[in-house]
Amino acid sequence: MITDFGRVLIFLIVGVVFVAGGLIVAWLLRPNRPYPSKLATYECGEVPVGDTRVRFNVRFYVVALIFLIFDVEVVFLFPWAVVYKNLGWFAFIEMLVFLGMLAVGYAYVWRKGDLDWDKPAPKVPRYEKGIGVQETRMTEEEIAV
Amino acid sequence: MQLFDVVFYVFALITILSGCVVVFSKNIIYAAFSLLFTFFGVAALYVLLHADFLAVTQILIYVGGILVLLLFGVMLTNNVISVEMKTGTIQAIPALIIVAIVAGTLAGLSYSTWKGVAVPAPGGPQTTTGTLGQMLMTSYVIPFEIASVVLLVALIGAAMTARRHRNS
Amino acid sequence: MSDHLLNDLSLFAPETAITLTLVAAILADLIFRRTPLVVAALVLAGFVVTGLLLLGQTGVNASIFTGMIAVDSFAVFFKTIVVLAGILVVVFSMESGELNSPGRKLGEYYALLCAAALGMMLMAGASNLLMMYIAIELSSLSSYLLSGYTREAPDSSEASLKYLIYGAVSSGLMLYGISLMYGLSGSLDLRAINRALPQVLSGGGAASFTLLIAGVLALAGFGYKISAVPFHFWTPDVYEGAPITITAFLSVASKAGGFAMMIRFFKVTFIDAGAVALPAGTWATLQGFHWVDLVAILAVLSMTIGNLVAVWQNNLKRLLAYSSIAHAGYMLTGVVVLSNQGLAAIMVYFGVYLFMNLGAFYCVMLIADKTGSEDIDEYKGIGGRSPFLAVALAVFLVSLTGLPPTAGFIGKLYLFAALINSGWTWLAIVAALNSVIALYYYVRVFRNMFLRTEEPSSPGITLSWLQNAALVVLLVPTLLLGLYFTPLVQLAQASVRLFGTP
Repeated sequence: MITDFGRVLIFLIVGVVFVAGGLIVAWLLRPNRPYPSKLATYECGEVPVGDTRVRFNVRFYVVALIFLIFDVEVVFLFPWAVVYKNLGWFAFIEMLVFLGMLAVGYAYVWRKGDLDWDKPAPKVPRYEKGIGVQETRMTEEEIAV
Repeated sequence: MQLFDVVFYVFALITILSGCVVVFSKNIIYAAFSLLFTFFGVAALYVLLHADFLAVTQILIYVGGILVLLLFGVMLTNNVISVEMKTGTIQAIPALIIVAIVAGTLAGLSYSTWKGVAVPAPGGPQTTTGTLGQMLMTSYVIPFEIASVVLLVALIGAAMTARRHRNS
Repeated sequence: MSDHLLNDLSLFAPETAITLTLVAAILADLIFRRTPLVVAALVLAGFVVTGLLLLGQTGVNASIFTGMIAVDSFAVFFKTIVVLAGILVVVFSMESGELNSPGRKLGEYYALLCAAALGMMLMAGASNLLMMYIAIELSSLSSYLLSGYTREAPDSSEASLKYLIYGAVSSGLMLYGISLMYGLSGSLDLRAINRALPQVLSGGGAASFTLLIAGVLALAGFGYKISAVPFHFWTPDVYEGAPITITAFLSVASKAGGFAMMIRFFKVTFIDAGAVALPAGTWATLQGFHWVDLVAILAVLSMTIGNLVAVWQNNLKRLLAYSSIAHAGYMLTGVVVLSNQGLAAIMVYFGVYLFMNLGAFYCVMLIADKTGSEDIDEYKGIGGRSPFLAVALAVFLVSLTGLPPTAGFIGKLYLFAALINSGWTWLAIVAALNSVIALYYYVRVFRNMFLRTEEPSSPGITLSWLQNAALVVLLVPTLLLGLYFTPLVQLAQASVRLFGTP
């Protein structure tokens, strides 16, 4: 007899074997002849520029935070959904109050502009008479956006 | 030794080893990714304790949410990758004394309550979600509703704090 | 079932009112962006309505929502303290120059104040370990955010972060204690735990050892909330860094919630219901559970360390932080006597502490707004520049010391009487000696205000009529309760009733 979680375990084992097995077999079979361009990071054929680890836009963090709160909220929905049929209106109102509270929070983050993805204004290169093109370089943070 | 025990020890080992990497790794990225395995291991242990809902919650919230947040936090910070973290020990002797006291107490506790621990019966209830839902909607309705207020405060606080960092 | 629920909901009206105020404050902040006073007025009205609903609950003794929350005179008393502190702090906040600097939005501030007050009110009533934990988390979470509200101030973010880290550790410890209690008794309900405990304790030394550890761990959570030594490390930094209005709120309301919860937890859970041959109004703890000695040690440490360290402080906000640690120590002595007299003494003390401590912080706020400093050395000549303000501050500080004819004297008198009556004379002596130390550092403030000459260039401090009125509102009870204290004492003696205890 295999329980539901037994099946999950089998999936896990198959997954681990599949990935790890593939890697190990490839490692055993492949020839090992490195040269500099081969070892370089692959960026769609371009020559890589700068460090891989650039600073992320803080926006990602805000969205992740908001996501986390609603993630917790969704978790509460599962047990409610399971018993909803037995409890009927009573459970419906309870969940309405719960979701209503979170809806207030949603209205708050929406109206306060926390969900807007405001990009910094692009810096247009300015031309000045007689001097020529002034060099403008994008900073790392702007590239990250 | 049964299959159950084997599975338990494998997951316990994964949890402990990856936990050690989290604590001792000098590279914060490695530590953060290692935490993934710790969370998964703990989720598996929950399953073995017949706490299926808790296990799913663990994966959904800790792996899907908190870990992602942690990685964003790491990547948000300038130069955190190149800087070596301070993992040295200061004030070793007072720390050792406190650790000894805490460890002794915990050992005493687990020894004294050893016999009282109920081993989950194989034929017990297979799913806890329904029971939890029933409890949440009836006897624990007030904690449930107050939890929504806590979440609301957390949401406002998170948005407020992050917004400030952006503006300054 | 629905009749039952409706009845429960009607007894939950004050909490519902404050929750609705919270929601309304958030929505009003989103709608009336240009007029920030709307939110403040709305929250003020919400607090007043909550207070009125609380008045309607006098004499109720019930347990609602399947034992989650107790509505008894004890809870109502502490909830009233929280709501009164909330009303006063909203008024302070409307007047505060620190908060109302141009460009700062205060919508979230007032909303979070409501959330914190809701958490503290729930702390006063919670009679289930899970409910207690959620109440603590709600009040703590809001407090972290509020103490970091003024982000330009360099100390404010530091205060918030320190508060958060200490809070996380202590709530983790408390949660572990709760899990041990649940493991031992198989229930989260305080009365059910109390019924299960005699059998658990009969199991031998191991069980009582586990119970002791659980009690100590729970004490860590309560000790953090009431800022008792050795869980007080966050207090000076948070009190100094947070906006003064929030410091004032935390020092009174948060402490009230913490004390109410702690007393309920220990009194309902660890009381020996089968104890016989006790004098009326006293009770006994379960055999083999010596937490009273533990609380006595905490009380002595809090009083002594709080007062001794306060002597060295130059920042008045920080000084008041240490003095609030000491006051937590005084109030803890009321817990160890295990009698209704001790409980009533704590409540009298809280009724008095509400006015004198909020008053002291209000004066500090007004002076800091005008002079830009909380340093005691900057208080030179305040007596000449603003006699009324200086005299008011002096009265609040005298009351905090506990000298007659102020209300603080009555608070201490009742505590000491309860201690001596139950044979804890040495504790009363320690507390009295501590008051002498307190006198020393408060006198420093008086000396600077009245005896030191002012610098010739410093301008006089003028207060608006609202500020004067607020000061009078705080001064009158501080003086009046020192002379005519019978109503407060009667109220406290009537409020010692906890649901589920004899």
